[in-house]
Amino acid sequence: MADERTRLMRFTAVHRLWHLGLVVIFMLLSVTGIAWMYFETSWGRGLASLFGGYQGTLEVHRIAGLVMMAGFVAHIVYMLAQIDWKRFPGSLLGPDTLVFQWPDIKGFFAHLGWIFGLNKHPQFDRWSWWEKFDYWAVWWGLIIVGVTGLMLYNPVLTSDFMPGWLLNVALWIHRIEAVLAMGHIFTIHFTVENWRPSSFPYNAAMFDGRISLDEAMHEHPAWVARLEKDGRLDSALVAPPPVPLRILYFVVGYAIILLGVFLLVFAIANAALLTLF
Amino acid sequence: MPIGHTIICLLVMLLLSLPAFAGDSGAGTELATTGYFRDQDTLPGSYRFYQQLPGGEAGLLGMGPSRPKLSKASFKLDAHDDVPYYGPQVRCQKCHQPQTKDLHGLRMGIRCVQCHRSQPVAGVFQYYSPLNPIRRHAYVCAKCHEGATPSFASYMVHEPNPISSEARGTFPLLYYGVWFMLILAGGVFVIFLPYTAFWWIREFIAKMAGRPDHG
Repeated sequence: MADERTRLMRFTAVHRLWHLGLVVIFMLLSVTGIAWMYFETSWGRGLASLFGGYQGTLEVHRIAGLVMMAGFVAHIVYMLAQIDWKRFPGSLLGPDTLVFQWPDIKGFFAHLGWIFGLNKHPQFDRWSWWEKFDYWAVWWGLIIVGVTGLMLYNPVLTSDFMPGWLLNVALWIHRIEAVLAMGHIFTIHFTVENWRPSSFPYNAAMFDGRISLDEAMHEHPAWVARLEKDGRLDSALVAPPPVPLRILYFVVGYAIILLGVFLLVFAIANAALLTLF
Repeated sequence: MPIGHTIICLLVMLLLSLPAFAGDSGAGTELATTGYFRDQDTLPGSYRFYQQLPGGEAGLLGMGPSRPKLSKASFKLDAHDDVPYYGPQVRCQKCHQPQTKDLHGLRMGIRCVQCHRSQPVAGVFQYYSPLNPIRRHAYVCAKCHEGATPSFASYMVHEPNPISSEARGTFPLLYYGVWFMLILAGGVFVIFLPYTAFWWIREFIAKMAGRPDHG
């Protein structure tokens, strides 16, 4: 059976649950938010009818937003609990954390140089710079969209604490940040993680938590070398998940990807019909 | 005798004034409202709430909306009485097209008269206008937004196009906030969309050339 252990564990079950929870709530917010934004078009009204029309869409969007903010708070608590406070702040550094460090900046430029054939491909450790960027992008995205979303949740109550005209500003910032987040996920994130020739057509790592040793040596050679040097490589190897689970991961993952592409394509196609400025 | 005379005069005045009271309440359609005030509206010093209105003390370093240019019509009982060929049959959109392009009109289907009232349309600063900032929150906004306050009523229903130079003058925070976000979002796409495309092409070339290890 030893020859079946061809995969490296990259994401723990908790990591994957955070990602899955974020995916589900993000897609729900995307569908309801776009339905709302495109309500003047028949496509938008069609999306909204899934949630019981205009008011129902608004209610689902608001409740989903609260759930997302609760998840964000829970994630902050989780992250604080993960920090090794005894070795703080040194424990924040090193190749196993998601904190941006000097090697990431070097990695970015080395990667850019590799794209244009100027130098060799950088040897990434456990996290490449774009994986860290994607992680922290959710943070600033959630802060911007969350603060403005909470302001808009109950406008009358909000205007007890600040001038009501800040809601004009909040709504526009909320919209632009939402378009940025959806646009980034449905184009850049999907392409980098799934549609690059080296991972096409689908990368299930965020669902099954493991990548093949070949892929690890290809994408994260410094990590594999470090595990080997520490003598931890053998214990980190696991078998691939059973076939039914792999089918499930593929079907669920691609359903989400196709939903994102559907929203992106129709949002662009209908953009000219929006009359709100 | 003078005292009796005075009492009779007072009674006559009271009787004569009754139809006048009745007349006031007869203005019903114009002043129909939930009448939902908050306690703060009746407290001494409540004028402070009105300072947050557009054109009051703008607050936040003067970045808020400033009062639009006021015309004489804004103070008239009939704002359109100087408008040639104006009549009840003329549609509002004929002259006020941009004001129909906002959330209240487009999303909720609110018609102009539901806030501005029907003929004659009073200027919003006319003393008795329901849209006068001193009572706008209670007479107009609170019809749908229960508990609306003067601060709430400072939301700009007819907001300027946020990226226009008009907005820079009349609503600086909206202008700079929206431009900041557009540059942030645009910057991400301008940098990372081509980056991802070139990255894809680079991997494709390596794969076609049969060099698996980032050749």
